[in-house]
Amino acid sequence: MEWLSYLPALSRGALITAGITLSAIAIGAVAAFAAGIARVEGGRALSLVALCYTELFRGTSLLVQLFWFYYALPLVGISFEPVATGILVLSLHVGAYGSEIVRGALQSVSVQQHEAARALNFGRAQTLLHISLPQALVEMMPAFGNLAIETLKLSSLVSLISIADLTFRAQSIRNLTLDSAGVYSLTLVGYFAMSLVLMLIMRLIERLVRRGAAFPRAAHS
Amino acid sequence: MPFSKIAGLSAIALAAGLSAAGATTLKDVKDQGYIRVATANEVPYSYMKDDGTSAGIGPDVANAVLKKLGVAEANWSVTPFGTLIPGLKAKRFDFVAAEQNISPERCKQVSFTEPNSSYGEGLLVKKGNPKKLTTYADIAKDPSLKVAVVSGANNIDFLRAVGVKDSQVIFITANADALATVQSRADAYAATELTVASLAKGQANVEQVAPFTDPVVNGKPVRNFGGFAFRPEDKELRDAFNAALVEFRKSEDYKKILGTYGLSEASIKAAAERKVEDLCAGK
Amino acid sequence: MMYGFEWDTTTPLSYASSILPIILIGLTVTLQAAAAGFAIALVLGLVFALLRRSRFTAVSWTTAIVVEFLRDTPLLVQLFFLYYVLPDYGITLPAFLTGALALGLQYSAYTSEVYRGGIEAVPRGQWEAATALNLSRLQTYRDIVVPQIVPRILPAMGNYLVAMIKETPVLSVVTVLEMMGLANMIGERTFEYLVPLTLVGLIFLLLTLICSAGLHRLQKALPKAGIPLR
Repeated sequence: MEWLSYLPALSRGALITAGITLSAIAIGAVAAFAAGIARVEGGRALSLVALCYTELFRGTSLLVQLFWFYYALPLVGISFEPVATGILVLSLHVGAYGSEIVRGALQSVSVQQHEAARALNFGRAQTLLHISLPQALVEMMPAFGNLAIETLKLSSLVSLISIADLTFRAQSIRNLTLDSAGVYSLTLVGYFAMSLVLMLIMRLIERLVRRGAAFPRAAHS
Repeated sequence: MPFSKIAGLSAIALAAGLSAAGATTLKDVKDQGYIRVATANEVPYSYMKDDGTSAGIGPDVANAVLKKLGVAEANWSVTPFGTLIPGLKAKRFDFVAAEQNISPERCKQVSFTEPNSSYGEGLLVKKGNPKKLTTYADIAKDPSLKVAVVSGANNIDFLRAVGVKDSQVIFITANADALATVQSRADAYAATELTVASLAKGQANVEQVAPFTDPVVNGKPVRNFGGFAFRPEDKELRDAFNAALVEFRKSEDYKKILGTYGLSEASIKAAAERKVEDLCAGK
Repeated sequence: MMYGFEWDTTTPLSYASSILPIILIGLTVTLQAAAAGFAIALVLGLVFALLRRSRFTAVSWTTAIVVEFLRDTPLLVQLFFLYYVLPDYGITLPAFLTGALALGLQYSAYTSEVYRGGIEAVPRGQWEAATALNLSRLQTYRDIVVPQIVPRILPAMGNYLVAMIKETPVLSVVTVLEMMGLANMIGERTFEYLVPLTLVGLIFLLLTLICSAGLHRLQKALPKAGIPLR
């Protein structure tokens, strides 16, 4: 089996892909919550900044963003390592999409609940932390699951800024062996398998979130 | 690279933020213990072997010169040919070892060393050369023919100079895409003779056009002179590398490296006889 | 020089204005690729959605797996696969068509879900009523289902069209000269990426904002026409 010989190099690439994807999901989630909450709860200035960020990163293409950060930005003196560039841009990109999920979920928490919170003398931060977010979080999880898969798929674009991820390895092996069918099939299967694992992880997190929301804050006194 | 290392790297890079401004010097390189070099994955000039190490005329000579300079390690990255100079200017690497032809246009952007190799042009075609091509001008004669070139490589200039239309050209991003392209999407692939020779070697479906007549531009047959490219502001680093290179060119080791990759005695001699200033001035 | 337009790199502004005509030629390619890809996605997605509903479990399961596979693997690798593997089997499509096909395949996985959601939103009672009225399967779809689901799926489809437009730059890696491909090529020749890339980014931003505004109006207009969205 000739294609068995591709496996070591491909799995090295898959590790990089996994690392970049998980980092981007983590950092992207932070960006998503920051921007999403700023859109709903922030003052005019803050929500405007969040809006600009969201529109800028949703409105332009990820590949354009990657190339811009990788080739263009250094010319004005701002430069990161390739891997950091890849993670940063991917995070900001999916974070912008995530912020829309956060915003939508927060806004779906009913007005009555906000009124009830006010009646209980909850501050804005308390309301957000103890009333809105726990409910919204449950709401967000399925969409976040899809976004996580999207992140994994989009991570393949970092191969184009010379990061040796799974796609990059596939390209190099094909360049040497010229066995396009074998290499790309194996790569597709690799991504599919990673997607399934990622789906499983997101389901687990979703279950944890649900459980957390069902028994809210026993410790809160 | 394990995940923790990626996370660590990105944390450091994010924390560091702005890249260090100013020129990179030989001392900087020695202090940090390694230098960053780029290749374009073009056999035999520069390419990455499957174990991740670099090989080819550019990398082999570069490694030898770096050793003489006392630089312990070279960090190689493979990047599409067209992005070598933009990447260099963006400080993605400290120099380029891809045997890029020293042309006046490129000299405006980067600072070349003295030539490291010299080579002519070539054509890769389907087995049996069904379109009977013998030189670039043959492609210009039939507008229905398609020719592939690597985006950013200077072969396009020679094609244009002999009258090939833009609509006839298919730009590919890597030399390795040429085989698939010539078998399906293009009638020929225009590259340097050594590139074409190494691609054709052992392939049943394609062949190198022979005899091939070098394109004539401005009354002179074309010949390329490949060198190492540095950022203009890194003059000290370039000069140090250049001095060591000129010294190394006199050695037997140098001739052995170039010989391994198929360069003839005459080509080696031709490279040593030309001056980088003249090439940059278009002479 | 490209497409007969010479660039002028003296200032960023003169550079931008001199390459704008070239980039706009790329924009037409971008839009054509998205349009072709979307047409494929609309048709193929419907086929997948109907096959998913097949009474034969073998068919519906295979379809489900194919759709899942298409949805969970990167467009870039699918594109490479189509571009480099199909010619090995004697199918050599021009780069543009290969790109449109890849976009269409990837998005057919999404559109099939939209169709499925739309079809399933038609109440069971109506299917039963259609059967009771002796309507054929074709009649049921044509007269009962389609008129109801079209307005329901329009906004989602619109969103996917916008998303697809933003993914067309990926096609540049297989030599399609859309906006990104041209910007790269200009960058490679002038050795200056900042202006062409920024220009492409701005055009995408403008395009997306216009499309979003249009979608917003569509969404607002639909319920007024008496069609419930949920």
